[in-house]
Amino acid sequence: MRTYDVAIVGGGPAGLAAAGQVLEAGLSLCVIDEQQRPGGQILRQPPETFAVPGWLPGASYRNARALLDRVAADERMVWFGGQSVLAIQPAADNDGWDLVLAGTAGPGSGPVKARRVLVAGGCYDMPVAFAGWTTPGVMSAGGLQTLVKAQQFLPGERVVLFGTHPLMIVLAQQVIAAGGDLAAVCFAQPFSRMAQLALGKIPAALASPGPLVAAAQGMAALRKAGVAVHFGASVERCDAGPEGRGVQVHFAGKAGPLHFSADVAAMCYGFLPQSDLLRQCGAEVRWSMPAGGWEAVHNGLYRSSLAGLYVAGETTGVTGSDAAMSEGAMAGLAITADAGKLDQRTLDARIAPYRRRRQRLEGFIDLLRTVADPRGRLPEASGDTLLCRCEDIPAQAVDEAIIEATAMGRAFGASEIKLRCRAGMGLCQGRSCEHALIRRIAASRKVSEASVAGFKARFPVRPVTISQLIDNGEQ
Amino acid sequence: MASQVSTADVLIVGGGLIGCASAWHLADHGLAIELVERGHINAGASGQNAGSLHFQIERRFLEQGEQAAREGAVIVLLSKLAIGDWATLEDRLGRPLDIAMHGGLMVAETEAELDLLAFKVGRENELGLSTVLLDAAELRAHSRCLSPALAGAAWLAEEGHANPRILTDAYAQAAKQRGAVLHTGTRVTRLTMEQDGTYRVQLVEAGKERTVLARKVLLAAGHWSTRLANMLGLNLPLYPAPLTMSVTDRADPMLPFLVQHVGQRLSMKQTDDGNLLIGGGWPSRLERGEDGLPDLDRPALVDSANLRANLEVAARVMPALRQRSLLRTWTGTTCVSADQLPIVGEISAAPGLFVAAGGSLFTLGPVLARLLAQTIATGTMAEEIALFSPARFAKLDAFAVLP
Repeated sequence: MRTYDVAIVGGGPAGLAAAGQVLEAGLSLCVIDEQQRPGGQILRQPPETFAVPGWLPGASYRNARALLDRVAADERMVWFGGQSVLAIQPAADNDGWDLVLAGTAGPGSGPVKARRVLVAGGCYDMPVAFAGWTTPGVMSAGGLQTLVKAQQFLPGERVVLFGTHPLMIVLAQQVIAAGGDLAAVCFAQPFSRMAQLALGKIPAALASPGPLVAAAQGMAALRKAGVAVHFGASVERCDAGPEGRGVQVHFAGKAGPLHFSADVAAMCYGFLPQSDLLRQCGAEVRWSMPAGGWEAVHNGLYRSSLAGLYVAGETTGVTGSDAAMSEGAMAGLAITADAGKLDQRTLDARIAPYRRRRQRLEGFIDLLRTVADPRGRLPEASGDTLLCRCEDIPAQAVDEAIIEATAMGRAFGASEIKLRCRAGMGLCQGRSCEHALIRRIAASRKVSEASVAGFKARFPVRPVTISQLIDNGEQ
Repeated sequence: MASQVSTADVLIVGGGLIGCASAWHLADHGLAIELVERGHINAGASGQNAGSLHFQIERRFLEQGEQAAREGAVIVLLSKLAIGDWATLEDRLGRPLDIAMHGGLMVAETEAELDLLAFKVGRENELGLSTVLLDAAELRAHSRCLSPALAGAAWLAEEGHANPRILTDAYAQAAKQRGAVLHTGTRVTRLTMEQDGTYRVQLVEAGKERTVLARKVLLAAGHWSTRLANMLGLNLPLYPAPLTMSVTDRADPMLPFLVQHVGQRLSMKQTDDGNLLIGGGWPSRLERGEDGLPDLDRPALVDSANLRANLEVAARVMPALRQRSLLRTWTGTTCVSADQLPIVGEISAAPGLFVAAGGSLFTLGPVLARLLAQTIATGTMAEEIALFSPARFAKLDAFAVLP
């Protein structure tokens, strides 16, 4: 088996920043990512065969692009692109970790062993179930953004964005730049409420003014482009357009109902930390505030609750790429120190600037979390709305399962509901519906979401074809 | 201060299939039954196995020699009883249990394996089990989803599968309705025998200690039964066997029956929902605990090489499997005894102490629980389970810690 001092799962900002530190210390390193090329979601690169002039312009991408250029070019880094990690397990000889890999599209790589592993898995869009959310043309903001960034492709001409997250402002500009026609951007929260929440947080956020300036510039750009931005407009349902073409999006608003016809309706209610690998191997996680999902817990130096396993970036809570870069660098330094390459004093000294940088971002992160908070703004699933679209399980069936489990008279979590009604048993392995199940269980049991146990994370954390697994033996 | 003391006619340790089914049967004999389970009902191997109902003779009973033949004959007799029990279980428990008895195939890939199957079918037919031998062409006509390269198979119409997720719960509910008392989250901390032969069982439930005095105790705790027996200085030669089970995404109906392999470890079936379940006894890996020993209290890890080997056999038998996606692989720990037969019955050194453990106890669970309950209630061993009596290991108990 190929053995490395360090394996990093995730080649985004956190993973690359950590990689830079690990390489500098002279440790052997592999970085594994489901994408073919480094960069993560934020810097999702077009295929090498594409020539894209002016890819990802703008100040907000500058730091991450500099990191990408520097680390990705480092020949000491072994890059496993297009590979999913199916599991991280304690090595049979109790010295480090075994990682089981499978190819995402092409052939897979055999297993890898590493003394220390950093999971910097990023985050993914939180899908929200409401009437008509499975209509063709309804998608996640991240999905739309991926197509624009990596494929220079708009899945439709006319686009509606809706949700609670200000990322919609950035995405709207990208859609326009890609030649799209933006029908509307609809925030579920009223403007007055957003402004009121934001106002108190602005002074602290100004410690690192970049993101705030970018947001203001984004709003101005949208205004200039004549894009209608609505506030207090919550989505009620989506229908297929005439003759099954396009999608009709219906909103209830303070100023009366709104209706839009579009080719694409993209939702943006927030992001869930990617922590399945950590949950599978038993590292400690906690419910992520405010949007939900499970974020990995660390000791301040990005060591997880399991020795030799580290976490950084959005996996530990969704805070943006600038924060992820600082965290990744700190995790890389902690790994380097634990590998005996740095003494405590040097570690403290070298970590300090990253800690300060991360600290300066706290104000903006807090502002963004507060403003984007989807709780109380999420659209409702009616009884026949599919909560689990892999297994076609409507909300009603989930609620009945919750009633049955409650009648058994013992505390129960998402796994018990899954066993009763099959929600979460399908191809997405519960990634889409787990948060919705947890919210419903919490509401029914009148407890906090954080106290409801999530799905048991099993091998493999990504579904994989049997042929992939069979053909992907020890090399 | 003395902890709270209560009594029971029979105290059952273990809320798995055997424990819950025994509770249901024993309660029907009018006995006061208490069942204690340290986790929750069906948390162990009973809920983690792949749910095969397999009644064809296993390969090891086909070895030369009189003993194998005699044991095989007893197993066939029990299998015939088990078929009857499974066929009527939904009626008796009064609820659907996803029991499908649409038949089962034990396939052969080589001519040598096919010869072995022919010998097996001959013996089974003599013993009254109506297995049928299919050659390659007959197998192909019978089941088009399987590989045309197979040499043949043995077919038994009564085999099939049931849903391990719901069976034990159904027994537990039915036992409760008959007055049995079930306590989950309850751990046995001490097991001793009084001068008069009564068992004193010390329990901890939600941090509180209490004691149950019982004339009879049934250990039905899978591989943990050895630890419990150890509390009395008794030695059960049971060894943990951590195994691997896998499930694919849903497919159109293609495999209406159970598939096993005469020469390889394989079980494969399709659930009512369309998922394909694959197992067959491939080991998973127990992590080491602080003391350097395999840790039985943590779930075993998937061994990816064994998983691959398991899927390889399965895909060789049914090539369409290659295109399916693996959704989940899980592990569960059953146990095997020193002679690979279950250990079921009263322990001679400790009158009133019964055990039922040792693998294959999903298929045979319902019938063994019924016969064991009869044994416990009447005080006379049911003849059908005599082969499984712990008496065969009695010499291990010379140093029991008993009054």
